[in-house]
Amino acid sequence: MPGRLIFVLLASAVALVGLEGCMRGCTSSRPPIHINPSMFKQPKYRAYAASAFFYDGAAMRQPVPHTIARGHLPGDPVFETGKKADGSPVANSPLAADEALIARGHERFGIYCQPCHDERGEGKGILFQRAKVPTANLLEKRIRDLPDGAIFDTITNGKGLMPAYRYPIRPHDRWAIIAYVRSLEKAEVAREASQ
Amino acid sequence: VSERADAPPRYWRSLAELERSPEFLESLQREFPEGAADPPNGITRRTMLQLMGASLSLAGLAACRRPVEAIVPYVNAPEEIVPGVPLKYATTMPFGTSALGLVVESHEGRPTKIEGNELHPSSLGAASSWAQATIYELYDPDRSRELAHRGAEKPPSWKDFVDYWKKLHAELSAAGGEGLAIVLEPVTSPTAARLVARLEQRFPKALVAAYAPLGDENLHAGIRDAAGGAYAAVHHFDKARVILSLDSDFLLDNPDAVRHARGFSDGRRGESAKDGMNRLYVAESTLTITGIAADHRLRVRAGDVGPLALALARALGLGPAGSGGGDFEAKWVGAVARDLKANAGKSLIVAGAHQPPAVHAAVAALNAALGNSGTTVTYVEEKETLRSNTADLQRLVAGLEAGKVKTLVVLGGNPAYDAPADLGFSDAMAKAAHRVRLGLHADETSARCEWHLPRAHFLESWGDARSLGGPLSVVQPLIEPLFGGRSTIEILALLESGEEKPGYELVRETWKAILPAADFEKRWNRVLHDGLLAGSELPAASPEIAPSAVGGLASLGAAGNGGEKGLEVVFRPSAAVYDGRFANNAWLEEAPEPVSKLTWDNAALLSQKTAGALGLSTGDVARLDLAGRALEVAVMVLPGNADDSVTLALGYGRTAAGGVGNGRGFDAYRVRSAAAAGLARGARLERTGKTYPLVSTHDHWSSEGRVIVQEATLAEYAKNPRRAQEHEEELPPQKSPWAERPYAERPQWGMTIDLNSCIGCNACVVACQSENNIPSVGKDQCSRGREMHWIRVDRYFSGPGEDPQTIVFQPVPCQQCENAPCEQVCPVAATVHDAQGLNVMVYNRCIGTRYCSNNCPYKVRRFNFYNFTKDTPEILKMAQNPDVTVRARGVMEKCSYCVQRINRGRIDAKLAGRELADGDVRTACQQTCPTQAIQFGDIRDPKSRVTASKASDRNYRLLPELNTQPRTTYLMRLRNPNPEIGET
Repeated sequence: MPGRLIFVLLASAVALVGLEGCMRGCTSSRPPIHINPSMFKQPKYRAYAASAFFYDGAAMRQPVPHTIARGHLPGDPVFETGKKADGSPVANSPLAADEALIARGHERFGIYCQPCHDERGEGKGILFQRAKVPTANLLEKRIRDLPDGAIFDTITNGKGLMPAYRYPIRPHDRWAIIAYVRSLEKAEVAREASQ
Repeated sequence: VSERADAPPRYWRSLAELERSPEFLESLQREFPEGAADPPNGITRRTMLQLMGASLSLAGLAACRRPVEAIVPYVNAPEEIVPGVPLKYATTMPFGTSALGLVVESHEGRPTKIEGNELHPSSLGAASSWAQATIYELYDPDRSRELAHRGAEKPPSWKDFVDYWKKLHAELSAAGGEGLAIVLEPVTSPTAARLVARLEQRFPKALVAAYAPLGDENLHAGIRDAAGGAYAAVHHFDKARVILSLDSDFLLDNPDAVRHARGFSDGRRGESAKDGMNRLYVAESTLTITGIAADHRLRVRAGDVGPLALALARALGLGPAGSGGGDFEAKWVGAVARDLKANAGKSLIVAGAHQPPAVHAAVAALNAALGNSGTTVTYVEEKETLRSNTADLQRLVAGLEAGKVKTLVVLGGNPAYDAPADLGFSDAMAKAAHRVRLGLHADETSARCEWHLPRAHFLESWGDARSLGGPLSVVQPLIEPLFGGRSTIEILALLESGEEKPGYELVRETWKAILPAADFEKRWNRVLHDGLLAGSELPAASPEIAPSAVGGLASLGAAGNGGEKGLEVVFRPSAAVYDGRFANNAWLEEAPEPVSKLTWDNAALLSQKTAGALGLSTGDVARLDLAGRALEVAVMVLPGNADDSVTLALGYGRTAAGGVGNGRGFDAYRVRSAAAAGLARGARLERTGKTYPLVSTHDHWSSEGRVIVQEATLAEYAKNPRRAQEHEEELPPQKSPWAERPYAERPQWGMTIDLNSCIGCNACVVACQSENNIPSVGKDQCSRGREMHWIRVDRYFSGPGEDPQTIVFQPVPCQQCENAPCEQVCPVAATVHDAQGLNVMVYNRCIGTRYCSNNCPYKVRRFNFYNFTKDTPEILKMAQNPDVTVRARGVMEKCSYCVQRINRGRIDAKLAGRELADGDVRTACQQTCPTQAIQFGDIRDPKSRVTASKASDRNYRLLPELNTQPRTTYLMRLRNPNPEIGET
């Protein structure tokens, strides 16, 4: 009986899909089906891989303290840490705030800072809009009065809920961002004065 | 151009090929050796298919879910690391009493690849196969992972050991160190020397002995006799026009080989007699890569090298009066002597480390007489060096036997395995009440100790070192100790003071005295960054060397080693495992030994004539009797070995090396005595009737007698500079059946390999394995022709099998043909061409038909017959390059011109906002080549080095008759024979 055969085939196909989950378009808590898993999972550690070898489960290791990589020779400590020899923050950036530096800072600010601190630096970014996470207003007087080195330290090491940005933002770019923020602040001061 | 199959070939790779044995002729007909397509346990293809079908239906689709992978970021991201972008750190590999300057690639804090440090004179940017393989050594799954204390129920902690030692320390301090004995590896390190001096101060009655089986003791005894002081000889091959090697394999078997190889090849780059190409004479007992590089090679027994040196001294007008010496080819000796004399001050004589002290003393005297002292060989007064001294070890064993040594500490090394057999060190060890061992592996020595302490690898620890005569360098760790190990200097400090102190502080303490205090931090940082302290080379000393030092040669007796005197046995370092320290290193075990092409084993090497007289052939097991000790060892007949001479490589036959190294080969230490550590006489070799499967890769991937090596003497080349292209120019014009691509866009990648520079040292093979995640497949798979190396180094003999006259090495990676035959036959387009002229493999598409390999005329494609990497231990995953796909079963692979490096170079150039420049992309083989034989770059760039290299007259393509248009081309080998001796 061909009709019955077709029914059985269809039913088993439906059952199969039900059992195995579908390939695309369905929501499932299980990972998607992968027809050919050969070489998909590689016996090597890509960046961010997990490792069962280390107690902390991470394949990414800290460099050994005090070692120096090629091209990372410690240079001017003021430029790299924003601190003087006694550990206090430097008042002014070691880089002259020319147009190019501010432009670079504008670009980097747009990538890394704007999502929280918003375009104008007022701390009304997406995080604040959605979750009312308190975010610093970079234009207020408290920040304006901070020495450049202190802002540098905050970008480097984070503060409160703000994470550290030391590896995505190189020291030069941190100073560039500071130069850009200072230019925003100057505009803000001028605006306040004009009011 | 193929020669007739039954005609004797001009070039041959094995004796079987020379003799056209039936097995060899049959092997030519097979793409892979017999049985290569069968699984090892006898399952037939049909049952395999049935099993596969069954497992497929059982597994169903449910098993094919995408694996869940976690993302584990840094909690506290270090500033210098961008995930996915590797960093490089300068460090130093201490090796015996020398050191090799390295730069190590690190991916997110894990070292993955070794390269040479271009700033460091010991390496000048190159690295040896041993250095390359230290990555495997670091991540060796068999490394000892915890402390062990005999009888303890659970592994003790470091604190337990420190407490234990503190108690002993108090007792020993009170007794002035009476009863304490320490065995160290020889080392050149200011920190180690400082700590040993302090130790001897605190424990004046303690015995401190440095011992290594390959400690160059004869060399230094000879120099001491000739120069009257503890000097080390530094050879400058780059300055020598005429070099004579007396049984020395200076290009391969010693810690300074990388520097030697560079100097030697730099002196050989000229293309005409005017340019000044150096000339190398080698007199040696077994065929070595130095002998293969020679312009004139004389086959002599190692025991006859002394008499040969005497004959030479006489020819130079230096020899002592009287008889002695040998009846050597007078023509050879006379011509060499005249050539040396004509190049006085620009010549150099070196002798093999296994030769007796009298030969080394004579060599020093001859070099001095020729005016070479101070030019091609300089002497330095040794500083901060602990040299191997077997006499000290002998005293220590006597102390153990007499019950005087109560506490024995063995730091590194492996004396229970490699001490001279007549010393009985391993038995004597048991007599000490306290036995402490620091070792990378829980090996033969650890098994006889009460305490075993895991040692930190040099890539895990702080230290310092000095290369021979070279600058001081710091050993920078690349990762924290994986198993909490301690370095030798940390244990020395603990032994001395009873307190633990980190290696970093110990090294800094030493360097406070080396660097000026004023600018210490800045200078220290510079040393770490560069990998060396500039200007800290040892000043050359000028010791008085009397010509009378050649007198010792007369005492060595006359030449000859006739039947009744027995055979001589020469003990040499293994090119793979050195003295046994790399025995558990799968990369080195599998890399075919440069000359014999043996993998995974050593063998007693014999000449055809000697083997014939003893009724032995390759693969027979013979019993070797030497001074009352016996060893059963497999025999291999090696072209060019001296008659009545047995060559044994050390370092095999380990019993506690680990899963890879245990039971590989034959332990030559069992017949090696202290008095005859390099060269022994009076041995007998007897057939046992047993056989042993030796695996040599020399007949794998044969080009069936087609002319693929080109060589000429300087005179021939001067007469006909187009010699290398003649073969190609004779061919009728060729046309491809397809429309040929112009490949006009830049860059177009290409490579040249200079056969004149290549010394066949295997550094490229291991570097490629490390860079490209190439699996080691084991001896059984190698015997089936399934070795996976992307570069094979062929060596072609020509001349008689007994004493082949010219031998050429030829590394063959994928030739990256523009008209690639492999691409035409792939049914799934898994191997295709890209716009930059690369013949690329798309692993995911490959279905494993092996048509491509069958159609490849160069035999450079490798097939994964098994999932060789399926069971990779977690720790070995760290040795894999994250930028290269690990291949699975059923996938074809081959040289990719290090496409990941090409891409990295392009990204870096783009980020820096500039065009790719020549030298931005260096392949792993090119980077590590000690002789700079490999050039790689854009062949459309008129100024690139590879373009200049391809413009040479010596440039030729392999098998041009096939019109494959390979991107990799070769430069003809040139030889510079002495017209007086005639062409060899």
